Amino acid sequence: MRQFTIFLIFLSFSYGVELKIGSVMPKKELKLIDTEGKSINLNSIKGSEATLVVFSCNTCPWVIKWEDRYLEIAKNYTPKGVSMIAVNSNVSRFDGDDSLGKMKEHASKMNYNFIYAQDPNAELAHAFGATKTPHIYLFDKNDILVYRGAIDDNARDANKVTEPFLANALDALLSKKKIKKTTSKALGCSIKYN
Amino acid sequence: MKNSILVFFFFVGFSCTNTQVIPVTSFDIMNEINSFKGEKVVILNVWALWCVPCVEEFPMIVELDESNKDLEVIFVSADFEDELQQVKSFLEKQGVEPYSYIKKEKDELFIEGINESWTGSLPFIVVFSKNKGIIVDSWEGKEPKSRFEVAINIALNS
Repeated sequence: MRQFTIFLIFLSFSYGVELKIGSVMPKKELKLIDTEGKSINLNSIKGSEATLVVFSCNTCPWVIKWEDRYLEIAKNYTPKGVSMIAVNSNVSRFDGDDSLGKMKEHASKMNYNFIYAQDPNAELAHAFGATKTPHIYLFDKNDILVYRGAIDDNARDANKVTEPFLANALDALLSKKKIKKTTSKALGCSIKYN
Repeated sequence: MKNSILVFFFFVGFSCTNTQVIPVTSFDIMNEINSFKGEKVVILNVWALWCVPCVEEFPMIVELDESNKDLEVIFVSADFEDELQQVKSFLEKQGVEPYSYIKKEKDELFIEGINESWTGSLPFIVVFSKNKGIIVDSWEGKEPKSRFEVAINIALNS
């Protein structure tokens, strides 16, 4: 019984295993469906300098609070060779709030200036170890993960951000400097895998 | 913290039925959990009003707490402090009294202080054993009652 208990203790913790810094971008050829219904994959949308993958959705309050920063990041860094994609992996809500139609409406309403796509079986989220929305993964031009985590340290108010984690990582990457903080954490809504 | 809260409620004489929602850091919470070592199994549940799965499973966790004298459930709301009134109303409707907690720390400090393996997804559950106070199970996301029951049974004997 004791051994069984210890076995359970060490094996039963359930967390997503997040992709480690330095990992190569997985599932580059995996089919995603953008809001126009077109098949795309990460390889086909890669940026010349970096690729930013944001696990997101239509309704999570934390996504809604950070969405103004989505737009700023895309506006500031797309011209510098950074390709940004928001990926919706909420499979259990694809028939409801996170349907392709609702995603298209949401992207239009919020003036998304980046790609928004569905991850049909949440395979991409699984491969990345993404657990929540928003959950950020930044890859360099060689598809190596260089930053993972949160956008910044204040979801609620962009004017009160003290550490713009993602912008700092992007600035360092684009100026070929070392990224000082390669991971960060913030609260978020769980990805609805099933 | 457990003792100071008990003293506080002794002096107010439990005259009010309102649930007190106390702002806490991760350090406060870990101390509170530790104070039950040797006495009870502890379940830590970090939840939020905006988190649908958290709200869905909340009554089930309250029921587990009420039906097991060897169990202490510590709820910590991850809502913003200015939503304290809504949090308080929800807790009162759920029968969580006389006090509960709300996070007052920045996300990253709070997450790391609670459990370094936690990615930040809600709900988040950690089950601590009765005798040694060690973690016997923890998970992110909504899980069925059976998972809680298995974890509690293991925690009662370790």
